[in-house]
Amino acid sequence: MTSAVSVRNVTKRFRIPMDRSTTLKYRMTHPISTARYRELLAVDDVSFEVPEGQFLGIIGSNGSGKSTLLKILAGIYRATSGSVALKGAVSPFLELGVGFNPELTARENVLVNGAILGLSRPELQRRMEGILHFAELEKFADQKLKNFSSGMQVRLAFTVAIQADAAILLMDEVLAVGDTRFQAKCFEVFARYKREGKTVVLVTHDLSGVDMHCDRAILLDHGRIVTAGDASDVTATYRRRSGEEAGQDAAESVAGDAGSDMAPSRFGTGAVHFRQVAVEGGTGEGVPHFETGSPLRIHLELEARDPVDDLVVGFSIHRTDGTWLSGTNTQLERKRLPGLGAGERLCLTYSVDRLSLLDGVWRVDAAAVSSSTGATYEWVHRAAHFSVTDVIGRSGMVELGGTWEPAAPAKRHSGDRE
Amino acid sequence: MTSATWTATTDQGRLVGAARYWSLVRELSITNFKLKYTGSALGYIWSLVKPLAYFGVLYVIFVQLFHQTQDDFGLQLLLAVVIFNFFIECTSAGLGSIAGNGNLIRKATFPLSALVIATSVTALFTFLINMALVMVVALVAGKLRFGWQMLAVPPLFVELYLLSLGVGMILASVFVFFRDIGHVWEVVSQLLIYVCGVVFPAKRVISTHVTLPFHTTLAQIYFANPIAQTIEDLRHALITPAAAWSVSITGAALFLTALALAVGCFVCGLALFRRLAPFFAESL
Repeated sequence: MTSAVSVRNVTKRFRIPMDRSTTLKYRMTHPISTARYRELLAVDDVSFEVPEGQFLGIIGSNGSGKSTLLKILAGIYRATSGSVALKGAVSPFLELGVGFNPELTARENVLVNGAILGLSRPELQRRMEGILHFAELEKFADQKLKNFSSGMQVRLAFTVAIQADAAILLMDEVLAVGDTRFQAKCFEVFARYKREGKTVVLVTHDLSGVDMHCDRAILLDHGRIVTAGDASDVTATYRRRSGEEAGQDAAESVAGDAGSDMAPSRFGTGAVHFRQVAVEGGTGEGVPHFETGSPLRIHLELEARDPVDDLVVGFSIHRTDGTWLSGTNTQLERKRLPGLGAGERLCLTYSVDRLSLLDGVWRVDAAAVSSSTGATYEWVHRAAHFSVTDVIGRSGMVELGGTWEPAAPAKRHSGDRE
Repeated sequence: MTSATWTATTDQGRLVGAARYWSLVRELSITNFKLKYTGSALGYIWSLVKPLAYFGVLYVIFVQLFHQTQDDFGLQLLLAVVIFNFFIECTSAGLGSIAGNGNLIRKATFPLSALVIATSVTALFTFLINMALVMVVALVAGKLRFGWQMLAVPPLFVELYLLSLGVGMILASVFVFFRDIGHVWEVVSQLLIYVCGVVFPAKRVISTHVTLPFHTTLAQIYFANPIAQTIEDLRHALITPAAAWSVSITGAALFLTALALAVGCFVCGLALFRRLAPFFAESL
């Protein structure tokens, strides 16, 4: 298979002036001084190939150089070194609506942007009704763009952009446009591109979009390729990395501000005291980080100040917005605890083999109560936190642990007629 | 490298090469023209009113107050104002045409020179409307000179256009890197109106007989300026024999100097633009 896009050892350095030397006065008064620059290595020795008809996703955090790389592919920036070869016509717009002018009507904007796409005026006029129909803007064709909602603008922008009959499409954050219904149309367009064998290079933050549309992906960090390969593998790597970072951020916000609403608070009679509540088995410093499906242990250490013989210990897990996700205790699960004398300690561990929680930072509350009176010995609010990343990108709060199987069609319901 | 962008294979409706370029220029210049007058009550009328108002002010000062009435100087002044106005409009709009479209340039691929050329075409369009007005006024006043000398008008327009576009391209390229040029050009525009003989007949310069070093006269230097030269030659071609062909005053050598300056500006502008264009996107 031939390569539609081939990138060899591309490096891009930006020279960012340290001082404002772009005025003539500076030039006049400092005629021989060479301006000082800070060098920014935006893209560092990147090589990859995109075979004809493949969809490639470029992902990475902000400032990882993915947009710069796309601009080099488009020829907007010139690479400092290395080479780029493209086989076939390239779509001119990297982002949606860049050629739009708010003072022009929808129709006029289509004409100007169509000219940038390389379409003749008669051809555009022939396509005009179809374009307005697809963008669902027939009634607004002669209104100025500035009076459009952002959703209307983006629909028009997307519709204009797909008029380019280019063989190679370079796109920066063009997924997730419009409402759900319009998105379905966009997906159809992507499916059509795939059927037509177009080559697409997609820069995006939308990982599920990459999973859905792209064959392969590359992950950039500080201008270098971290991993390249099958889209789902690369997005999994990225989710793992960014999940750890998110966990560390949460850790910092807990550790950094004791008075914040993430600091623990206690109430109760104080007959039993939680010495420690810890979530174990995770990675990272501070707030432990887990991947969905990995094992997790909640370690509880209690000390009795007064003698107790009716102790029940439990905990609950909450999302940071307060949503109560799950709670259990020793009484519900028929686990009798020994009586404790004053000053005696008790350690308990709650073990989970496969964590079913999905992405998020989760909070643990712990409680020790009396089974006979129902009195609260101690309740520790925000006793611990942990963060979770699901590397395969499932949505919501928990995964159900089910499996997919091919199945025979369901039997026709007896009430149905032929 | 990425030149593949502009050598697309075509099916019907898709343009390639020069046709694509010119359709882009046309759409951009139509847009410029629309945007320039959109939202104002008088709309396109402003393209006529503005030079007329400017002419009115100059007329009161230089014709009424200073009594420059010989050889229909009022009409000469009107013609000069229209020509000068074109040069200023073309160059100052060209100056901002790259820097003012930063978002587009950073996020889309298309030949950037189309932006500058589009502004010059917009200015040219206004210029032709204004010239039509001048012709009508001259005709009504019975001062329009019909004759063979009128054949000089189209080449003079071409010379003026090449000069204005060339200067516009130089300004557009340099402005991206040195924003001071914007202010400098404002001042220069104000000065040029005196240097180019808009507000007085060239006769005044010729009759002063100031001799500069190297035995050139002030008149010769004056006519080496292609704007002054086109203004004076167009005056001769359209309105009055009192304004002589510039070549008859300065001789072929200096006439060719003016011509070379105009063409030189165009060639230099084009070359400079082509050289700097790859760096526009990252400097904006």
